[in-house]
Amino acid sequence: MKDVQSYMESGILELYVLGDVTPQEKLQVEEMIAAHPVIKVEVDAIEHVIERYALEHAVEPSEKQRNRILNSTVTYLGDDSNFKPAKSQREDNIVYMPAPKPTNFYKYAFAASLALLAAATWALYNTRTKLEQSNLQIIALTEQNQKFANRVNLKDEELNVFRDPSFKMVKLKGTPKAPNAGVTVAWNPVNKKVMIDMTDLNLPENDQNHQYQLWAMVGGKPVGLGVFDKTAADSTDMKIMQPVELAQGFAVTLEPRGGSTNPTMDEMVVIKML
Amino acid sequence: MSKKISLPEEELVHALRNHEKIAIEALYDMYSASLYGIISRIVIDVHTSEDVLQETFVKIWNSFSNYSAEKGRLFTWMANIARNMAIDKIRSKDFKNQLKNHELENNVTFIDEQKNTVYKPELMGIKNLVETLRPEQKSILDLVYFKGYTHAEAAEELSIPLGTIKTRLRMAIQELRKHFN
Repeated sequence: MKDVQSYMESGILELYVLGDVTPQEKLQVEEMIAAHPVIKVEVDAIEHVIERYALEHAVEPSEKQRNRILNSTVTYLGDDSNFKPAKSQREDNIVYMPAPKPTNFYKYAFAASLALLAAATWALYNTRTKLEQSNLQIIALTEQNQKFANRVNLKDEELNVFRDPSFKMVKLKGTPKAPNAGVTVAWNPVNKKVMIDMTDLNLPENDQNHQYQLWAMVGGKPVGLGVFDKTAADSTDMKIMQPVELAQGFAVTLEPRGGSTNPTMDEMVVIKML
Repeated sequence: MSKKISLPEEELVHALRNHEKIAIEALYDMYSASLYGIISRIVIDVHTSEDVLQETFVKIWNSFSNYSAEKGRLFTWMANIARNMAIDKIRSKDFKNQLKNHELENNVTFIDEQKNTVYKPELMGIKNLVETLRPEQKSILDLVYFKGYTHAEAAEELSIPLGTIKTRLRMAIQELRKHFN
């Protein structure tokens, strides 16, 4: 009897009623019920409680369900001539909405967008390249134009130099150090202008550390009139030097870059005394 | 609402054995709400719950010969069929897929239908008593009865030893017994 009591208190009967037992446990409980009336009474009490609990938590199915379900059970009897199959009940109440056809619109739209983007990018790149080329051409043309303008100005000035009877063209001759050298200096004693004709400049090229310096002999002393370069590129400029009024002669020496206060006589390349 | 049929359990069982038409109607009128209460709490989705209710009645009807009054009450047997079918349904792959599509829409309907909870004058007052179940007792009972958990799964879910689960389940039912008597 004590075993029966502890069996009842183990909770297995509640699980049996709740259907939460293994098939073996189920058989065991059913044997115990059959063998012990007191267990039968206990199980019955638990069943009552659970049934009341379920009733208390009952949820009324919708009214449509009654006919549907009763018809379906009767149909299973094979007596379906009197009843409509359950399915028709459903069909009366259900409007079949055809599923929307899967559409490829977005797929194509996406592909088209990508293609358009690629084309636009390509076109933009082309236009940009052309624009860059045009800009370069404009710069080149402007430079060229500027050069021409400069050149025209210079030619005008040169022309003036030659027209102006007060200009003296002084041809400096090469010294023994540079026998083939020659420089033409245009000097106007009236307005003191001194220019070097870069077109007619026969001097060896100077390096980065040296420059040619033009000197004028004034009162027996050399006076620096500025520095200039002989570069590989031919220049047609008339380079304007510092003015001098009374010069007895001109000379050019090679000096450290920037020029010197006194000429380095050893590096004299051309000279002309008037 | 159509007139409901009710029969004493013994008569009902007898009529069911004889496959009398009135028996299935009485069975439905007497128990559909209780069984639907169990099914719909496990399944949640209304249409699926209704399908499970239908399947449950068909199974009760077709396999009634398996029921033995000596082994227990009719409702216990039916409730176990209902719960097992509901659990099978929610664990099926089909249902899991379907749930993804219809979850939102159906929950709204479900809430509406929840309002149809049966009003039973004879149960007045009991609701309050059930509310006085200690929360840990109620939660275990509801997990096992309404959520389709086994007591072993409930033990894991609540992180409580298996023995304690059994004890609390028993205590909860004892508590309800006191109030119902």
